[in-house]
Amino acid sequence: MSQPEHPPRIEISDGASIPDPWDKRLINAWSISLVGAVSLLTYLCVRYPDVYGKILSLLPEGIIVTFKVTIYSFAATVPIGVLVGIGRLSRNRFINLIASTYVETIRGIPLLVQLFYIFFSLNQLLHVPDFLAAIIALSFCYGAYMGEVFRAGINAINKGQTEAARSLGFTRFQTMRYIILPQAWRTILPPIGNECIAMLKDTSLLSVVAITDVFRIAREYASVSYQYFETYTVIALVYLIITLILSKCVSVMEARLSHYDKR
Amino acid sequence: MTNANPIISIRNVHKFYGQVPALKNISMDINQGEKVVIIGPSGSGKSTLLRSINRLEKVDLGSIIVDGQDVLAPKANINAIRQELGMVFQSFNLFPHMTVLENIILAPTKLKNVPKAEAVEHAMQLLAKVDITDKAMVYPVQLSGGQQQRVAIARALAMNPKIMLFDEPTSALDPETTGEVLDVMVTLAKEGMTMVVVTHEMGFAREVADRIAFMDHGELLEEGTPSHFFNNPEHPRLQRFLEQIL
Repeated sequence: MSQPEHPPRIEISDGASIPDPWDKRLINAWSISLVGAVSLLTYLCVRYPDVYGKILSLLPEGIIVTFKVTIYSFAATVPIGVLVGIGRLSRNRFINLIASTYVETIRGIPLLVQLFYIFFSLNQLLHVPDFLAAIIALSFCYGAYMGEVFRAGINAINKGQTEAARSLGFTRFQTMRYIILPQAWRTILPPIGNECIAMLKDTSLLSVVAITDVFRIAREYASVSYQYFETYTVIALVYLIITLILSKCVSVMEARLSHYDKR
Repeated sequence: MTNANPIISIRNVHKFYGQVPALKNISMDINQGEKVVIIGPSGSGKSTLLRSINRLEKVDLGSIIVDGQDVLAPKANINAIRQELGMVFQSFNLFPHMTVLENIILAPTKLKNVPKAEAVEHAMQLLAKVDITDKAMVYPVQLSGGQQQRVAIARALAMNPKIMLFDEPTSALDPETTGEVLDVMVTLAKEGMTMVVVTHEMGFAREVADRIAFMDHGELLEEGTPSHFFNNPEHPRLQRFLEQIL
């Protein structure tokens, strides 16, 4: 905390909080949560193997689906985010309006409603397969939030950088590509990682439609075994552990990317 | 001061910020190899005038011709014109995500397709010229302000510009490092570079300038050689300005 100034971080989403890469203390909120979650889950599974252990053993297949949906959607969301972010900063009024309207609309509708709406319209009107429809729906919704992250990140770069690049003869596009985005990437990384983690959590909403993700498996098991408390305890701990590990990964990447502003 | 072929020709230029005039009917010719220093109090429009030469600021009326090309024409290839105009900023504006060497070779390799080896060789010569060869591989944040500004000059020179524009290049520096940067600029001037310099460094103006221009409230009030300027200033506003700073 008392470290010398490091780059400002933009924290926008409802994702996990990314641990501060410059916090070198062993005991912090992140380590307490992780150790707590892992030990509780281990204890339960060892102490009651045929209840908690059994539930846990059902999940790996669903976890893979959850990751698959997240990775595909995330891969589609980043380019949408870059375009929307640049569009929101565009001086061309038409482009600006399209990007802004998209963001405005998406932000004003609950995610679950959007997912239902896009999923079922794609599914029924265009006969898009379930898995693909889910990915399109999720990335379309998250593109708006990602766009705001990119906009903030690009905005945070000093105007002098653009002026220096333009004065050398770079076009707007080249300036964005060689000068602005490589720098913005570093400021943007924590919030992007955050969006990715928030997205992983929100894939649980897809269990309501036709995706057999980890939460869907848990719900189905709970409804036949009547072990609601036990099942949802395990699923909560599993989500928490995944999220905590991912947030640490983002934090490590953040520290790596900022090598050039360390003296 | 008239010449058949000035390399920069500014004619009847006006600029407004809303209702407030920032530049009022400015005309000025700058010849090949000439060193022009623009002085004046803050807010006088001197930086705005300099920045309008490479269209970082767009003026509202008038014409600016650089090396035969109309900077303000809607179909002007401004990026090509800017390659002829090196610019050095008060706040250095080095690219912090690149090493010193990468900063210098970026524009030649990407914009002029200079092969990397050749660009590096040229960059090392430029770094020798600004006396900072040992820092080629470090990131800008590890350099002092004076060092950063010298790298910024090398970066601008890497495009082999015909003209160098300096926008208060030493205003963010302490007196000691100011000297390093001014030395480089003096060397550059002696090599015959065309230079337009906005500065508060009167010593530099006296030593290097072929011509000094004084601006106040968006107007070009007086132009002349350094000896005329410092010994017989005519405009009362300039007399007061010089009394205050000398």
